[in-house]
Order: sequence, then structure tokens, then C-alpha cells
Amino acid sequence: MAVVQLDHVRKVYDTKVAVEGLSLAVEAGTMFGLLGPNGSGKTSSIRMMIGITVPDSGSVSLFGKPFARSSLARVGYLPEERGLYKKMNVLDQLIFLGRLHYIPAAVAEKRARVWCEKLQIAEAIPKKTEDLSKGMQQKIQFIGAVLHDPDLIIMDEPFSGLDPVNALMLMDTLLELRSQGRAVLFSTHRMDQVEKLCDNIALIHRGKLVLSGSMGEIKSSYPHNRVHITFEGDDSFLRHPSIESIKRFPGQADIRLHPSPTLADDAQALLARALQHARVTRFEVTEPTLEEIFIEKVRETSPDTNGPNLSPAQLEEPVGSYLDA
Amino acid sequence: MRNVWLIAHREYTDRVRTRGFLLTTIMIPVIMAGFVVGSNFLGVKGTTDIRIAVVSSDVQLALDLQDELNRMQDQKEQTQSESDASQNMPSAPARQPRIIVDAIDPGPDTKAELDESLDSGDSDGYLWITPASAPGGRPTFVFTPRSNWDVSIKNTLASALDKVLIREQLTHRGIVAADADTMLQPVQIAAPANPHHDDDKSAEISVSVLFFVMYLVIMLYGMNVARSIIEEKTSRIFEVLLASIRPEAMMAGKIIGVGSVGLTQVGIWLIAALTLAGASVALHLGANVYHVSLTLTQIIFFFIYFILGYLFYASIAAALGAMTNSEQELQQLNMFLVLPLLFCFIMLGTLLTTPDSTLARVLALVPPFTPLLMYFRVSLGHPAVWEIALSLVLTSASICGLIWITSRIYRVGVLMYGKRPSISEIFRWLKYS
Repeated sequence: MAVVQLDHVRKVYDTKVAVEGLSLAVEAGTMFGLLGPNGSGKTSSIRMMIGITVPDSGSVSLFGKPFARSSLARVGYLPEERGLYKKMNVLDQLIFLGRLHYIPAAVAEKRARVWCEKLQIAEAIPKKTEDLSKGMQQKIQFIGAVLHDPDLIIMDEPFSGLDPVNALMLMDTLLELRSQGRAVLFSTHRMDQVEKLCDNIALIHRGKLVLSGSMGEIKSSYPHNRVHITFEGDDSFLRHPSIESIKRFPGQADIRLHPSPTLADDAQALLARALQHARVTRFEVTEPTLEEIFIEKVRETSPDTNGPNLSPAQLEEPVGSYLDA
Repeated sequence: MRNVWLIAHREYTDRVRTRGFLLTTIMIPVIMAGFVVGSNFLGVKGTTDIRIAVVSSDVQLALDLQDELNRMQDQKEQTQSESDASQNMPSAPARQPRIIVDAIDPGPDTKAELDESLDSGDSDGYLWITPASAPGGRPTFVFTPRSNWDVSIKNTLASALDKVLIREQLTHRGIVAADADTMLQPVQIAAPANPHHDDDKSAEISVSVLFFVMYLVIMLYGMNVARSIIEEKTSRIFEVLLASIRPEAMMAGKIIGVGSVGLTQVGIWLIAALTLAGASVALHLGANVYHVSLTLTQIIFFFIYFILGYLFYASIAAALGAMTNSEQELQQLNMFLVLPLLFCFIMLGTLLTTPDSTLARVLALVPPFTPLLMYFRVSLGHPAVWEIALSLVLTSASICGLIWITSRIYRVGVLMYGKRPSISEIFRWLKYS
């Protein structure tokens, strides 16, 4: 039974089609990544899952039943735009959020303290929210979303604005929640996290699903034509005929090989050539990263002309900076 | 319903705890008390007599004028205390400033001397009487006051002189002085207090004060609703809330929460005003001017119409808040809130004089004006029971309609950031949600 399921969902705002024929399902005890560039319909899809907006057509079901507001008591939601009452103190705020999800004030208070301890912000409990740092406020918001022990946790861009230490802490917490059998769905455009965390993903672009499935399946459907090499010395081996394109970094290169049936042999030949000229400290042959798949897919579905979200020029930019934009 | 209460409760405690609430709640009664005490203090100090010089070659005329002024003053004070007694109020005899007349024979330097005494402040004015040139004609009067500001002195002098001259004419024609007195006695119209209609001046003042309070509080707290919605839009908290409760419940909770704060404040003010009035009666401080005269019915209707008026305008304000993204944008739209209230305010004059005119009766049934105007009519006029019932039904119905419209605007509006919607967009919002 899917914890949350979208079936051919469509949502139109005035003239803009936000989501078009989107179907996806999240199972209990799994982590689901919803990927897509900015403005691709991630937030619109999430809002329909929790009843902030209603789909124009198609259906949303929670816990195997058609969407009903009563099911929301079992859902925790972390919105993209974080929002807390600035003037309220942290504990009151968390108790209020807990009570909104039908848990008694005393229970909410106990759980809030446990969670604050766990996320190392116990000292923030008596403070006013506006006196806290942004990272701390985000943690408070996260606690607010999980305080009522939801079976489904939906998060819109949970990692944005977190420093590496806190991002790691959040990842660990999410993995723990998954191991407790809860379903976690989050949207992001940070591919590295998705690759590490998610069991299943859905990639949407301009409101449409362009790729979905389990992480393993998706990766294995792509050939091992990426070579990452770290070396010292002469780089003339990089003109090897099997190489389709190269990205050069100081002392490193990310290589893409020509598609061919003898791909594995090509890679070995390249390694042999490299060893003749340079001192190689790392040589790795892999399938494309999710990031690359993502960009490829987005490029496929964006007509080269009149693409408002992605112009070809933008795609030539370094991948990371585009994705974080 | 549980969620409405939860939101209202949070809103209420959050607001009541602020320093601003404490300050306005305490400061306004303190200012009221200061005003009452202060004006009494000034009132006691302000009763200095007025000295006027009368320049006349006819000394008898000047003396008659002095007598007449005294007589008028006595009568005035007598009626004043009688009307106070009829209102069952203990009253300190209020001393009115008396006009004291100094008779002076005209001499060559008189005018210069009088001008000098005017400048030095020894005298408040002088009346120059030139005897009639022909027998039987009227003398001419020129009054030079120290300042042109006090018209009442001139009027008092004129009416006193009228009587003096008439009395003189009457005695000329052989009428005995006692008869002349009777003839000149001013007519008294008795106005016994009507138990069904307490329309004495103080009730009018009390009701007007409550009218102002209602007007101010509705406007203030209506704007507070709009402002707090904008605040939640900017802090984005509503998205968390919307994930667990309906926008209708959110809006209702907000309106009720903010409104309860207003009710608390008005309640505290009312209690303060009543205690203050009680205290002022006990202290004999200005009891004849500032006493609160409100019946229980008036207070009950005040709260009924206050709540209805608040709900009506707060729903409009909620819609305005949902449509805008900043306080500045709200300022541009708040005429929708202010204009109908202001209109009621302008109508106040008409209603005070004729609370039962057709205009007043019709306007009091129009929902945006009902809360303020019908309250006024209930307190000072004689609306029929069906009129009161109809006004309650019409206003309640229009509040329901308004909340329905507003919650739809709210539902879409809170999720919209960026540009302000056009009218046609708002109509489209009403269609989908």
C-alpha cells in the first residue's frame, strides 16, 4: 500500500500549467526524492499532497484512501518557505504546532524537549524565535513537522540553507525515521543528497514526469561511460580517440567516453595510455551521476528554442552553479 | 471548531502579552481620569467675575442694568439646580461667573482711562451709553470688550438692556413695578424625566462616547486583523498551518482571537469608566457634567452591535490582508474599511437631533452602517422591535456572506506572493479554490 499516491494529477494556475499528468507513489519505510529545476512544479505537487491546493483533475490518496483532511494528522510537512511566529518562544511554538496535529500539550512539550536535545538546540528552548539563527529556526521548523510522530514526512527543500554539519545531522535523522518504517518524501535540486539517501526518485520538468524509478534501476540503465581520473604529469593521454568530451580540473579530469559496445575495453585502453605518460592516483569507471542524468533529461525535454526555464547557454554553465541557482 | 479555538487562543495570548496592549489598555483610562479631574480643576479656577464699566450720564440706567443682570443670573442658577435635582444627582452648586457693573459718569478723559484699564486687564469691557437725543427715543449703546472672543457677554448685556428698557417703558406708562416684574418673568418649560426615554444630555454624551469607542476599536482591530494576516504571509507561517487546518478555520480563529482582545480592552475601559464615574460622584467632582448614564439595555446592545460591527469589518479587513503583501499596499486599500465607518461618523450629527427620521431608519438597516447607527438609534431613538430584529438578521446574513467570500479570497490570496491581484483576478479567485 502506498503511503501517498498521485494519479494523473493536473494543476493549472490561470494560464500556467504547473503540474501535468503526474503519477507517483511512495511506500512506507522508503525515502523518495522529488527532483526538478526551479519552477518545475515540485512545490505545486507537494501542496496538492497535503491539501493546500486541490488538483484540477486526477487524484491524490493518502494511506491508501482518497485524500481526506483527517489523514493529515499522520502527515508532517516542512514547507519550502520556513515560517514560525517570530515573537513566540520556541517551546510555546512547538506545543502550538503539536496541538494543531491533535497531540495534547503535555505530550507535545515532552517530545519537543527530547527532539531539541537530539538536534542539539536545547539551549534555544526558552528563547524567542526571532533571536535564533537561521539554522536553528530551521531545526525548530523540522521538529514542528515531526513532533506528532507522522507516518509520512513531506519536506520541500529541507537542506537549503543548512551548513554541512547540520545537513549531515538532518540526513542522519531522516535515515533514522525511514528505518522506523516511516515514509519520507522530499524535494531538492541537490543531486548528491538524493544519490546517497533516496530509494526512489521522480524527476519532473515543466510539470511533467521525465524520469522515475528506483535509484539502482535508473543508474544501471545507463552505460558505464564516465571516467574520473586523478593524475600528475603529462596529460597528452587525454587526446585518446575513445574520449567524447572532457572536463578539466587541476590534476583531475572527468571524461565521457564514446558510446560503443566495447566500452569496458576502451576504458582499460585509456588507463594503459595514461599510465605511460602520468602518475595515476585514481581511476574510476562509473555510470553517469544523477546530476548528469538530470541535466541530460532536462535538456531532452527543453526545446532548444524558447525555453524559458533553461536556455542552451545556461546549460553550458558549470553544473553545480546552475543547480543551486 | 477545535482548530478555530486553537488559533484564536494563540492569537489572543500573543497579543494580550504585548507591551503595546498593556500600554493602551492602561493609558487610556488614565488619560480619561486625568481629563475629568483636570477639567474640574480648571472649571473651579475658571469662575472669575467679569467687570464691566457702564458709562452713562443716566446713573439710574446703569443701576437698573446691574439689577437686571443679577436677577438673570439668579434665575439661571435656580433652573440649573432644579434640573439637576430632577435627574437625581447630587450636585455641587456650580458658580457661574457673574457680571459686575461699575457705573461711571462720562468725563473728558473717561474713554482714555477705560481703554487703559482694558489694556491692564482691570476691566473686561465697557459699555458706552449715549442718551437718546429726542424724548421717547432709544439711547445708543457701544460695547467695547477686551477681546472679541467672548460673544456671550455681549448677548447677556443685550438681553439685560432689552428688559431694562422695556421695564422703563412700562413704568412710564403707569404700570406698577411688581406687575412689570411678573410680566417680564421668563417662561419656564418643565421637562420631567421620561422613564421610557432617557434622553437627557448626559445619556447623549455617554452614548456618543461609546459610539466613538466602537468606531475606534472596530477600525483599530479591523486593521489589526489585516496586519496580522500580512505578517503571517511574510513570515510564511500560514503554509505550516494550512497543512493541518482549513483556511476558513484559520481566518475565523484570527478574527475571533483579535476581536477578543478588542472586547477585553473595551471591557476594561468600560469598567474603568464606570468606576471613575462612581468615584467622581462620590467625590462630588464635576458630577453635573461627567456622569455616566447608561442603562443595562444600552450596554447589552452596545456589545451586540459592537461584535456584529467588528465581525463585518474584520472580514473585509481579512480579505484586504489576503490580497496585499505589505503594509504599504494595505494603506492604499484601507479606504474600503474607513469610508463606511467615516460615513457613520458624519451621520452622527443627524442622528443626534433626529434619531427616528426616515433617513436614519433606512440607513440603520443597511448592513455596513447598522452596527454603529442602529446602536445609536436603540440608545437614543425609538426603533420598532421589528427594525431591531431586521437589522440583526440583515447584518448577520451579510456577515455570513462576507465571510464566505473572504475565505475564498483568503484561501487563494495567502498563497500568492508578488504582485497585487487585479479586480478580475479576485473574481476568478472566487470561482476556484
